Amino acid sequence: MARLIVMGGGVSGHTAATFARKWLGDEHEVVVVTPNSQWNWIPSNIWVGVGQLAKEDVVFSLAPVYEKAGIDFKQAKAVSIHPHGNKESDKEYITIEYTGQDKEGQTEVIEYDYLINATGPKLNFDATPGLGNGKGHLGEHTVSVCTADHAVHASLELNQIFEKAKKGERQKILVGTGHGMCTCQGAAFEYIFNIEHEANKAGVRDMLDIKWISNESFMGDFGMGGLHMKVGGYVVSSKLFAESLFAERDVPWIIGAHVNKVEAGKVSYELLDGTMGEEEFDFAMLIPPFAGVGLKAYDKEGADITSNIFAPNGFMKVDAKYDAGAYENWKASDWPRTYQNPDHSNMFACGIAFAPPHLISKPASSVNGTPINPTPPRTGMPAGIIGKAVAHSVCDLINKGKEAHLHEASMAEMGAACVASAGKGLTSGTAAAMTVYPVVPDFEKYPGTGRDTDYTFGEIGLAGHWIKHILHHMFIYKAKLKPGWTLIPE
Amino acid sequence: MKQEEKNFEKHNQFTLTMIPGGFAKKMRTCLLFQAFRFAVINIKMLVVVSKSH
Repeated sequence: MARLIVMGGGVSGHTAATFARKWLGDEHEVVVVTPNSQWNWIPSNIWVGVGQLAKEDVVFSLAPVYEKAGIDFKQAKAVSIHPHGNKESDKEYITIEYTGQDKEGQTEVIEYDYLINATGPKLNFDATPGLGNGKGHLGEHTVSVCTADHAVHASLELNQIFEKAKKGERQKILVGTGHGMCTCQGAAFEYIFNIEHEANKAGVRDMLDIKWISNESFMGDFGMGGLHMKVGGYVVSSKLFAESLFAERDVPWIIGAHVNKVEAGKVSYELLDGTMGEEEFDFAMLIPPFAGVGLKAYDKEGADITSNIFAPNGFMKVDAKYDAGAYENWKASDWPRTYQNPDHSNMFACGIAFAPPHLISKPASSVNGTPINPTPPRTGMPAGIIGKAVAHSVCDLINKGKEAHLHEASMAEMGAACVASAGKGLTSGTAAAMTVYPVVPDFEKYPGTGRDTDYTFGEIGLAGHWIKHILHHMFIYKAKLKPGWTLIPE
Repeated sequence: MKQEEKNFEKHNQFTLTMIPGGFAKKMRTCLLFQAFRFAVINIKMLVVVSKSH
């Protein structure tokens, strides 16, 4: 009997745990440790954030799904990893602290044979003074759509802004990134267009000044160094594509911005050229930077070995090339393939939890030396695909032995689909539907743009909007493990 | 003045990009055209998904 522990129950962890359960025999055990009682289809939080969906439409309880699947669910946060055991035993284990199941605050030790770290990100609001509350949570000045609860709060605040606009009070809306090292620009990108769409529907668009602020050095970078896509028969830069979307909607932008302070109704920022600026707002949704969740690791003697297993940003080291050096030396092959920890062959990381070897976007810093560049996105489709590949590897190691071939899922050989909607109605909204292949550009294989332009494309219209609706229902259906769930791709 | 021309005027940032005209915007919500594009985009996305697994 082998025990697999999956730390984290988000897109990647849930995918890994459910496939592992399917592929492993009943004699083996799959344990999921996650602090949340509910699974959240995060892309649809955008629609919650503008009041078009309720929280209940984007979440469901994990406990009954895991019970039916035969997965041991522990609503707890992982605290530490002990890959060598302790003085009494060589057996690997983790420690957890319960956050639910009527055991809040209780700690427990769980031994493992295989460990998958899919803990996702810590939403590091406190990295920017005023963006957080000083205790690791969202502060009082801005809103967020990173969790379903945040999105509900954002919707209520936005509604108040619309009400004021209806009364003739001009309102300033600011949406974007709340730090120079943020990722997930796509979520903010989608949210700003949904706000603009809803404002038009509510008849208050003329009373709103909507502005974009981002750490991207150019519009359409998206943390992937931008992309060249086929649009209307041309191969064009995502810069033109993104700028066009904003100009069409009369939304100006501030880019290359590191937001360094948030106060009531005002953000302060530094630009790449070193200049400092301020922007006032009545409503602001700023994405926080991500960090690892703060897991610690200890050796047999109890000495702290966190820095051996985790990168300084708190994400777990895997089979990536972390010493690639300067941007000129970066290669697609630097990116991990199996997501196995180099020191511990029974330990893997997937989704946001693995440490990328370097940025995808070209590194940039202000003339004052402040780094201002988007960090690599590892959410959505790549997170699911990596989770499945890692589960496959672990299952083969258990079923076939330690010499089994590990499955590979390099982000330099993997595509991603992204649909950014504006609106929710089936005939009234539109969406920017994009695919990118591969996520990490490979300039050796695709000289010029780094990507296959046959499969890197973007298009705006109702069709993408319908796809967004289908994805919403399809992925929640799949995550609930309903009949045929394995047939739905990640 | 057409809407897209108005927007070019609204901000300096907008003058160097492209803004869709009436026909392009009409096609975005034309049900017949979008039904066709829906099929095309789905096929392309399925190819990308299959190449990624």
